[in-house]
Amino acid sequence: MLDDHLIGVLSNMGMISFIALSAYLVLVVGEISFGQQAFFAISAYASGIASAMWGWPFLGAVLWGAAIAGLAGLLLAIPTLRIRGLYFAIATLAFAEMVRLALEIFTYRVEVDGELVGPDGSEGFRDIRYIYEADISAGAFLLVILALLAVTLGAILWIERTRLGAVMRMVGEDPVLARLQGVNVNLTKIATVAAAGLIAGIGGALYAHLNTYVEPKIFNVMLGVHGLAYGLIGGLGTAFGPLLGVALDIGVLESTRAFSGYRMIVFGGLVAVLLIVRPRGLLDEAAVYRIRRFLLRKDAGD
Amino acid sequence: MADFLQNCLDGIATGAAYALLALGFTLIFGVLRRLNLSYGPSIMAGVFAGTALYMAFDAGLAEIAVATVIGAVVVGAYIERLCFWAIRKDMAVASMVSSFVIWMQIEEGVTLLFPDRTYAFPGILADAVVEFGPFFLRASSLAMLAIAALAVLGLLGLIYRTHFGLAVRAVSENPQAARVAGVNTGLVTLLAFACASALGGLAGFLIAAGDQQITPLFGLWATFKGLIAMMLGGMGSIPGAVLGGLLLGVVEANALWYLGVETRDLVAYMLLFAVLTFRPGGLMGQAALMARRAAESRV
Repeated sequence: MLDDHLIGVLSNMGMISFIALSAYLVLVVGEISFGQQAFFAISAYASGIASAMWGWPFLGAVLWGAAIAGLAGLLLAIPTLRIRGLYFAIATLAFAEMVRLALEIFTYRVEVDGELVGPDGSEGFRDIRYIYEADISAGAFLLVILALLAVTLGAILWIERTRLGAVMRMVGEDPVLARLQGVNVNLTKIATVAAAGLIAGIGGALYAHLNTYVEPKIFNVMLGVHGLAYGLIGGLGTAFGPLLGVALDIGVLESTRAFSGYRMIVFGGLVAVLLIVRPRGLLDEAAVYRIRRFLLRKDAGD
Repeated sequence: MADFLQNCLDGIATGAAYALLALGFTLIFGVLRRLNLSYGPSIMAGVFAGTALYMAFDAGLAEIAVATVIGAVVVGAYIERLCFWAIRKDMAVASMVSSFVIWMQIEEGVTLLFPDRTYAFPGILADAVVEFGPFFLRASSLAMLAIAALAVLGLLGLIYRTHFGLAVRAVSENPQAARVAGVNTGLVTLLAFACASALGGLAGFLIAAGDQQITPLFGLWATFKGLIAMMLGGMGSIPGAVLGGLLLGVVEANALWYLGVETRDLVAYMLLFAVLTFRPGGLMGQAALMARRAAESRV
């Protein structure tokens, strides 16, 4: 079977992929978000509270966390509708830092089995012990992560093939033109940002339960900017792009340790050169079109 | 009331540093219409060049200041060529992400060369204090305020009174038309970037000299404080950068005094979020934004 190190790496890749997919969805409708880590954080706390303090079952806690994160996305999307471009990026950054700093002072503790449990400001939130109590191995939890990731990816890929997917890309390319075509630009953006919050939320809930401990400073802006960068490295043409970005950074560079100590120098240089050659990532729209045509030709030949 | 006034003085002192950082940001944004996240790290690299000179040769303040500015300009030029010149102008997100990965690269490079957490930096006027009746202000802060004011006048003069400034404005307005009119857009952009980096290097030198120490985390701090100050004032606006910097400093100082250190940053981000929500173009960038909206609605 897989060794512990590999399971850890794959679990991390899976959980970060939710942030990358979430940032990717916002990019598809033409906005840049530096703040998707906020939804990851909100859900990590909300689902941890549900399972460790209210005694909810695991799946219920994950869904609850994701729903709260989606709601937070909705609440962020409405006041920021008038804000565009870099101002939107900075507004999301401000929102995420507000969430992180609010968690630094958020304290809510109750007694469970004779022990005080719950978020304790900057001390963090310990003892989200579901996976110990239910005796779930790291390998089994990895399967849960991958299953939820597959469902999320499948949903995004399906939506991209529908009319809604085309509308989202239209809004991203040219909102004025989209409005002239009768598209409700505002509704599309609000729905997308809320959905992006929900997706990041799934990752956050998984993160809290796997690590059993979360603290506010994990959810800093670096997490969000990495999530954003993955989509751009892997490509903005398909939802596989962000996953490719995650695989390249965490899977290849961080884990092989061949460049330990120089990782960011090598990675930074490679990505900078990549962005010169392919400014919309490896799997950009043109590449996706060529791949799809190639696959269809093969099907026809069989 | 006395507390409040003293807080405002302290805030203006910090705000002068924010304003200097925001000025460099706004100059780069004004020319490129793209965001350079590596601006803070390039300044940090410059300050470390100054520190290296100080540690190796015990150099004087003037030499250290020159080394800091040169270091910032060299790293800035590297960023400009790699992340902005080489990437198509309409790919603003690619440039921004590229500048982010180069940030990580610079930070790791500096950390490898300077592995300790903090390094000493020579102070200027470190302990001198200017008193106004019951209130006081550190002399280094006063110097920073004066230099920020000079920088604003210098920048306004450069942008609105010289031939180079005309070229910068032309490139900012419409690069294709500028090129047709015979402006060497690549060179003008590089020079404007170098100006912003030099200004950043100067700001970095003053801030490090005020603190008498420097850490690799300075890059992150400089990028975010400069960015927030610029956004508060409105991107691309020179008076806006100063207003945003001073406002941020004053609000932070008062939040620190009345609410405590944990709430200070929270209040700063709430201010930024509120300003962007109610004035989506920043405090002094609203007119330009409204003009664009009006043009869009006519389409």
